[in-house]
Amino acid sequence: MSIDKLRLLLLFVVFVLVQVLLLDRIHLFHCATPLLYVYFVVMFHRGYPRWASMLWGFVMGLTIDMFANTPGVASASMTLVAFIQPSLLELFLPRDAEENIKSSAKTLGTWNFSVLAALLVLTYCLIFFALETFSFFNGLYWLQCAGASALLTFGLIMALESLRR
Amino acid sequence: MQNLIAFLTKNFHWFVFLLLELISVVLLFRYNSYQGSVWISSANAIAGKVYEWQSSVEQFFHLTDRAWQLEHRNMELEQRLWRARQQLLELQQDTAVVDSALHSVFDNIQMLSAKVVSNSLNRHDNLLTIDRGSNDGVQPDMGVVCGMGLVGVVYMVSDHYSIVLPVLNSHSRISCAIRGSGYFGYLMWDGKDPTEAYMEDVPRHAQFDKGAWVETSGYSSIFPPGITVGQITDIGNSIDGLSYRLKIKLSVDFGCLRDVSVVTDRSFSERLQLMMAARDSMALAN
Repeated sequence: MSIDKLRLLLLFVVFVLVQVLLLDRIHLFHCATPLLYVYFVVMFHRGYPRWASMLWGFVMGLTIDMFANTPGVASASMTLVAFIQPSLLELFLPRDAEENIKSSAKTLGTWNFSVLAALLVLTYCLIFFALETFSFFNGLYWLQCAGASALLTFGLIMALESLRR
Repeated sequence: MQNLIAFLTKNFHWFVFLLLELISVVLLFRYNSYQGSVWISSANAIAGKVYEWQSSVEQFFHLTDRAWQLEHRNMELEQRLWRARQQLLELQQDTAVVDSALHSVFDNIQMLSAKVVSNSLNRHDNLLTIDRGSNDGVQPDMGVVCGMGLVGVVYMVSDHYSIVLPVLNSHSRISCAIRGSGYFGYLMWDGKDPTEAYMEDVPRHAQFDKGAWVETSGYSSIFPPGITVGQITDIGNSIDGLSYRLKIKLSVDFGCLRDVSVVTDRSFSERLQLMMAARDSMALAN
């Protein structure tokens, strides 16, 4: 197993544990929960095989679902976000970017990266909460939850991004 | 043929995408049916273990609160027992009869103690996981109670863990009765406040006061009768206006639920019925 895969696996475990043990307990104003594990998908570099990033996303979602007893909710949303991430990343690349450029604030520029992250996080939260409140659909509550959680998640991602080398 | 292979390789990610989404959607809908898969839930071995570690750390920090709570509850029960004994004594002067009556039904109900390893409050459909499974004799549809009162019903079981459908789940419907008057209805949660639930279908002619206690009715074989549910805080009308809808302040604080008991005995309803029948026939004979 290459060092890259090992790193990814370690990151995977860390994201799952942080989410399950810590962040899932946070419910600001009864609706906002930071869903930091989306960051895992946001970080895939350009040229990473799409099927592999989707599989990572799916497994990540499934693991989160397993802990939170919401089978299918996070895995469906994570697969979708992993699916659109490469196409979205193309839109924010600097001119003559490298073939396997990293997806980070340093390589893309802070503004570009933050728009990319915001779009992905918002997509994720909208779908996640739509699936979660499926049986009790309430438009305003859904938007409130998705918006507040997206904002919180985005804030966390940008904070971590500023620490990242 | 070559074109086909080229087409497949070019659009490979689409197929993977559709396949993974399909799996997710199947999971999403299958789980809603009652016998969902226990493996993709917090009752599987890995998730259960992680939650167990976490709750054992958390429990340590809650020991003081817990001890106080138990002491309080103990005192309350002692007092209630004393009062019940006094009342029975007034009715029947013989102490031997009193003691045997108090012990007859509840003495033999088997309970299995368990620890809550994961719990949620914020969803519409909350579930909680306990550290006992089919190897300990837990089966689906067994009742779960704690010192403060009613918790829920076992929903899914794996070897070492079980998932419980607590009162705080929109699918939970538990038969309960008003203490003293005996009018019954069923308990439902509206998905909002985790300290309150609603008792539905209480008949119009029922008489009760605000502040009266609600307990399990014992009409099913899931819970023995007389387990505290909560206190009536508000009286409203049902949507169709044909019955009362009572707001109940739940006696169990689901936010700090740790130790629970699973009612593993299911013969008490039978025994209760038999005892009632015997008592009735005795009364007739006299």
